[in-house]
Amino acid sequence: MYGAFDISTSALVAQRIRLDVIAANIANQRTILNENDEYEPYRRRFVVFGEGDPARGQTAGLHVASIEIDDSPLNQKYEPGSPFADADGYVSYPNVNPVIETMNAMDAARAYEANITAIEATKSMLSVALQIIA
Amino acid sequence: MIDGVTNADAIPVLERMVQFAGQRHRLIVNNIANFSTPGYRAMDVSVDAFQAQLSEAVDARRKHHGASGGELELRDSPMIKYDSIGITLHPKPIGQNILFHDRNDRDLERTMQDLAENFMTFRVAADLLRSRMALLNTAIRERI
Amino acid sequence: MTDPVGLIGNSSALNRELPQMPSLGPPKAGGASFSDMLQEQLDTVNQLQRDAKEAIEDLMSGRRVDVESVMIATAKADTAFRLLLQVRNKVMAAYDELKQIRV
Repeated sequence: MYGAFDISTSALVAQRIRLDVIAANIANQRTILNENDEYEPYRRRFVVFGEGDPARGQTAGLHVASIEIDDSPLNQKYEPGSPFADADGYVSYPNVNPVIETMNAMDAARAYEANITAIEATKSMLSVALQIIA
Repeated sequence: MIDGVTNADAIPVLERMVQFAGQRHRLIVNNIANFSTPGYRAMDVSVDAFQAQLSEAVDARRKHHGASGGELELRDSPMIKYDSIGITLHPKPIGQNILFHDRNDRDLERTMQDLAENFMTFRVAADLLRSRMALLNTAIRERI
Repeated sequence: MTDPVGLIGNSSALNRELPQMPSLGPPKAGGASFSDMLQEQLDTVNQLQRDAKEAIEDLMSGRRVDVESVMIATAKADTAFRLLLQVRNKVMAAYDELKQIRV
C-alpha cells in the first residue's frame, strides 16, 4: 500500500503541470511577439501523459512524457494596416481557443480532486492498519 | 500450541481479506491516477473470484479441523497469487465502459465507488482482526 | 457438679457429635451445583464465540452481507467471554483466600 502514495502524488504533479500549460495558453492567446520582440505568434502547447513514473523507477502512476507544440493552423485575422501583415494582409494570431482551454482546465481540476480523495483514502487505510497492533 | 493462537478463530480469513483489500487499493489508485492518460485501460482483479476462493477454503478448513482453528489453504489463480505472508495481484483490463476519444475507458463514478467500497471492506476486516487479537491477548493475560 | 457438656465421667462423651451445622455435603439429587452452572456458562460462551467466528467467515467470503449483524454478534460473544473471565478470576481469588485459612 505504500506505493499508493507515490502513485497519487505523481498524478497530482502531472495534472498540475497540465494546468500550468493551460494557464500559459490562456495568458498568451493574443501574443504575437516572442521574447526578443520578433514576430513569432505563440503556438498552443499541450501535455502528453504517460503511465508510470520513470523519474522514480515506478511502473504505476502518471507522468508528463512531453510538452508538445500544437501544429494546427494559426488564427488568421485580416489587418492590412498592421506592420506584421503578410502579403494578403492577414496577421497570424495564436491557435488558442479559450473555450477548449477552459474545458481542459476543468478536466484537470476534476482529476486533481479525484487523486486527493485517493490520498485521503490511503491515509485512512494506513491508520486503520496501524490500529491492528495498538 | 502456537499454531492454535496464530490460526485461531476467524483470524486467517480476516488476515487474507486485509491483505487483498490493501493490494487492491493500489490498483484502484493507479486507475484514478491514469484518468487522462491516452490509451490507458482500467485494471482490476475479480473480487467475486477471490471471495469464492475464500469460501472454498473456509469450508475445507471447517471440515478438516472442525470448529477450532487450523490453517486456511488457498489455491493460486492467474490473477491472485498467495504466499505465507501476503498476496500478489496480477490485474487485467476489465473495463466495461465506452472508449473515449483518447482510447481511455475512464469511469470516474465507478472508480470512486470501488475506492470507497474497498476501503470500507479493509476497515471492517482490520477492525474485526484487531478485536479477535485483543480477545486472544485478554485470555492470555487473564486480565480484562 | 454440673456437667453441661457432659464430657466428664462419660467415656462416650468424646464420641458425641458436635452441634449441628448446615450440611455442605454432596448435592441433593436433581439440584444444580456451582460447577454444573459454570460448565453450562462455559458452553454458552464457547457457542457464542463459534457462531461469531462463522458469521465473520461468511461475511468475508461473501455468503452474507449484513455487516451490522456480524458486528453485534462479535460484540456479544466478546462481552460474554470477558464476563466469564472475570467470574473465573473471582473464583480463583476466593479459592486462594480459602487456602490461606489455617484450620
